[in-house]
Amino acid sequence: MLKVKDLYASVEDKTILKGLSLNIKAGEVHAIMGPNGAGKSTLGYVLSGREGYSVEGGSAELDGKDILDMEADERACAGLFLAFQYPVEIPGVSNLEFLKASLDAQRKMQGVEPLTATEILKMARAACKQVHLPIEFLKRGVNEGFSGGEKKRNEILQMLMLQPKLCILDESDSGLDIDALQVVAEGVNSQRSPDRSFLIVTHYQRLLDYIKPDFVHVLADGKIVKSGGPELALELEENGYGWLNDNACEGQGA
Amino acid sequence: MSAWLEACIARADDNTAGQSWLAAKRQESLELLRESPWPTRKTEAWKYTPLRVLQGFSGGAVGSAAVVDKIDDLNSIDLVFVDGNFDTEQLSVELPEGLSVTRLADADRATQAWAAKRFACIKPERHLFGLVNDVLFSDGVIIDVAAGCTIHQPIRVVQQLSEGAEAHTRVLVRLGEGAKAAVIEQCDGNSESFNTLVAEYQISAKAELEHYRFAFQVDKAMSVGGCHFDLAERAQLNSTLVGFGSTLSRVDVDIHHGGEHTFAKFNAIYLLDGRELFDLHATVEHANPNGRTIENIRCIIADHAKAVFNGRIHIHRDAQKVLAELNNRNLLLSDHAEINTKPELEIYADDVKCAHGATIAAMDEQALYYLQSRGVDRSKAQVMLSFGFINELVDQMPNQILAEWLRPQLRQRFSQMEVS
Ligand SMILES: Nc1ncnc2c1ncn2[C@@H]1O[C@H](COP(=O)(O)OP(=O)(O)OP(=O)(O)O)[C@@H](O)[C@H]1O
Ligand SMILES: [Mg+2]
Repeated sequence: MLKVKDLYASVEDKTILKGLSLNIKAGEVHAIMGPNGAGKSTLGYVLSGREGYSVEGGSAELDGKDILDMEADERACAGLFLAFQYPVEIPGVSNLEFLKASLDAQRKMQGVEPLTATEILKMARAACKQVHLPIEFLKRGVNEGFSGGEKKRNEILQMLMLQPKLCILDESDSGLDIDALQVVAEGVNSQRSPDRSFLIVTHYQRLLDYIKPDFVHVLADGKIVKSGGPELALELEENGYGWLNDNACEGQGA
Repeated sequence: MSAWLEACIARADDNTAGQSWLAAKRQESLELLRESPWPTRKTEAWKYTPLRVLQGFSGGAVGSAAVVDKIDDLNSIDLVFVDGNFDTEQLSVELPEGLSVTRLADADRATQAWAAKRFACIKPERHLFGLVNDVLFSDGVIIDVAAGCTIHQPIRVVQQLSEGAEAHTRVLVRLGEGAKAAVIEQCDGNSESFNTLVAEYQISAKAELEHYRFAFQVDKAMSVGGCHFDLAERAQLNSTLVGFGSTLSRVDVDIHHGGEHTFAKFNAIYLLDGRELFDLHATVEHANPNGRTIENIRCIIADHAKAVFNGRIHIHRDAQKVLAELNNRNLLLSDHAEINTKPELEIYADDVKCAHGATIAAMDEQALYYLQSRGVDRSKAQVMLSFGFINELVDQMPNQILAEWLRPQLRQRFSQMEVS
């Protein structure tokens, strides 16, 4: 599904990703953990095509297609989805309009018939229910005045509607209360399928109690320094990242 | 003096229009008008808005004005003026209790008594075209809402102009103490015409006015008019102006905080295309302490269009603890479009909070990326954000039905504007 090889990327002349490799197969759930400032969000931005992030080396393929030359919207239409750590507020553009524009664009690119307004509304209502957001939120400006937790749930709502192939969740669990954490986890679990993969960035083992990852990676200083199974998350929870300085542990994507 | 103004004055001499109780007022205005210089390029208030297009307009209506459409579900009380004259035929609904609508010519003594005092007094500084309206209005209404009454149906004053028509309509509104009402002023028209709609509002203590002015004249439909508000103690105003441009479109909005603890919110949206012009002069007078004003002015300008915004906030010496915010954001879709914006703050009280900002907005890159990351291509995303930029103020309109009615019209107009 996703093949990242020896990726180097910089922002404002500062190299953040320094030879990152990662391989995610269809149906797999990978978790990425790592200290603040390691480059986790940067990875999401680079993969999703945010402007200002320049790739200096390496490659990234989604389903065998090189995505690094694509525009952000083309990558989304190719099935990549990033749930943001800090979702943006867009006053004046309603949530429903935003969802409709996204669905329309993606379906057009995929060459399928657009959904009718009624169909979209029906889907959106169901998605609201699933993430426990009142349907009135569809009328409000995108994330406008939403609480931190509501913004995160709104990201999951978009994921449910857009049905991407590869979902990157950047700290979708941060700032959530216990119930919301379960809502997010259930949202992800409901979407797990043999042809959909997840890359979950988190600082806390807790989310991984609900979403069982197949692999856990440690990202530090711009590359994966350690990989393992779910037990690695428990280990990190116990020991922290102090060991990073002691042994320069070479990691490899699964 | 210009030929146009001279002709005005000559006509004013003949215009008696039956309202003898206003004769003294009109005479006073006429004298002021005689002394008024015709604005030139050097006249600050008219610097960017040349009046020469008026010179070529001679008036004389041909054909008939289009019928005004009702607004679905709004259930408004429609007061329709065709070429400046009140069309009583189109007022079919029965007025709710507490609301009275009287033609200026039909005002009884009691109405005359208070109306004569308010007439042409709400805007402290006289305005050339206000004077023109004073002396030339052929018809007008007094809308009076009794103290303590809430009128649930919006009152809509509609101006319809046929080709070649010149109309000078006058509206005087009084909200009694604690009264609540919504008034919509709507001017339509796309053929060559000229109107000066002047509306004056007296908002008594604790009264709340919801107000809209839709200046929808386009093409050669010229308009120079104004709406003026006086707020008594604890009165509240929530006003939204939406304007399209034409060869000459100018609105003067005046908000006078005439009592303490007043609140005024004024939002304005304008969308200009082609070679259109829209000039908004908004003046806020804080003459009393503890008042509050919020102004949001947003405009999108395409092609060779020209927008003018002059926002003056005057906080008098005794007006302590006033909070005033003025925010003007403009989006230019073309290199040839022009915006002249000038906030003017005059603050003579020392304990006030006053903030203003005028920006030529650039696209929000983060928001663009967010939309793109969901599959929307960049140019579509730009269009969505631009529309969102004005829609944000539509969202703030208190009347949702009106917002629903307005949105597709703005969308339609916006979709015709080109990014270049
Ligand atoms: N626009 C920028 N200009 C300069 N440095 C930047 C910019 N954006 C990110 N960085 C730097 O890149 C590094 C990686 O940031 P990133 O947001 O990817 O970290 P992270 O692993 O997601 O951290 P956290 O766990 O705190 O979310 C940080 O040192 C950050 O300061
Ligand atoms: Mg981060």
